[in-house]
Amino acid sequence: MNIEVSDYNGKKIIILSGEVDMYSSPLLREKLLDLIKRKVPTLIVDFKGVSYIDSSGIATFVEGLKGMKSYGGRLRFFGLHQGIMEIFSFSKLDRVFEIYGNIDDAINS
Amino acid sequence: MKDAVVITVPSHPKYLSMVRSATVNMGKLYGMEDPVTEDIKLAVDEACSNVIKHAYRGDTSKKIVIKYKIMQNGLAVIIEDSGIKANLKSIKGRDLDDVRPGGLGIHFIKRVFDVFKFDEKKKEGNRLILIKYREKE
Repeated sequence: MNIEVSDYNGKKIIILSGEVDMYSSPLLREKLLDLIKRKVPTLIVDFKGVSYIDSSGIATFVEGLKGMKSYGGRLRFFGLHQGIMEIFSFSKLDRVFEIYGNIDDAINS
Repeated sequence: MKDAVVITVPSHPKYLSMVRSATVNMGKLYGMEDPVTEDIKLAVDEACSNVIKHAYRGDTSKKIVIKYKIMQNGLAVIIEDSGIKANLKSIKGRDLDDVRPGGLGIHFIKRVFDVFKFDEKKKEGNRLILIKYREKE
């Protein structure tokens, strides 16, 4: 898994790639919680390069979402491949997370 | 036809990627459709993650043995450890409507495998038996 944090039109973006599993998710959690600690108002996660996610990766995002909601922050995803989208749908988390098809929709919504 | 492959990996999360690769390769040998192979890959990964978390309580110095058996009527994946016995009563995923971190792994396993059972004859450690039956044509 590779993780980069950048700014795009005044919003923080996490560009995630590779496989998010029990081995790599602690690093994702560390980055995510660091941004949440700084009360980032909107955090966008670019999933285009993510080929795999397991329950530990999903749990990390659920924890992140709860943290952001505590101060009114927004966590948005875009670029999820079909297989990953199906995992979110099966888990009923597609109703919980804000999921968009592309970066512009994720930023402008 | 009855083919079997056995792999042994240390109980460290960094080896889960090897388990996933082996699982995908077995799925291809079995002639499984790609989406089903992906679901099985996730399920076997979750089962091995559970071994690390629960049976070994994070101890990375142990072993996990994964046996793949291609049978006429299906694919069996048997996962063995020498850790703490699983408490069958406590093994259940969270209600999917109760949104909180954790509790999804077991759902990912049961959604693809037709059989999910622990071998009660195993005296020490756990032997989880997962079977995906071949779809009738």
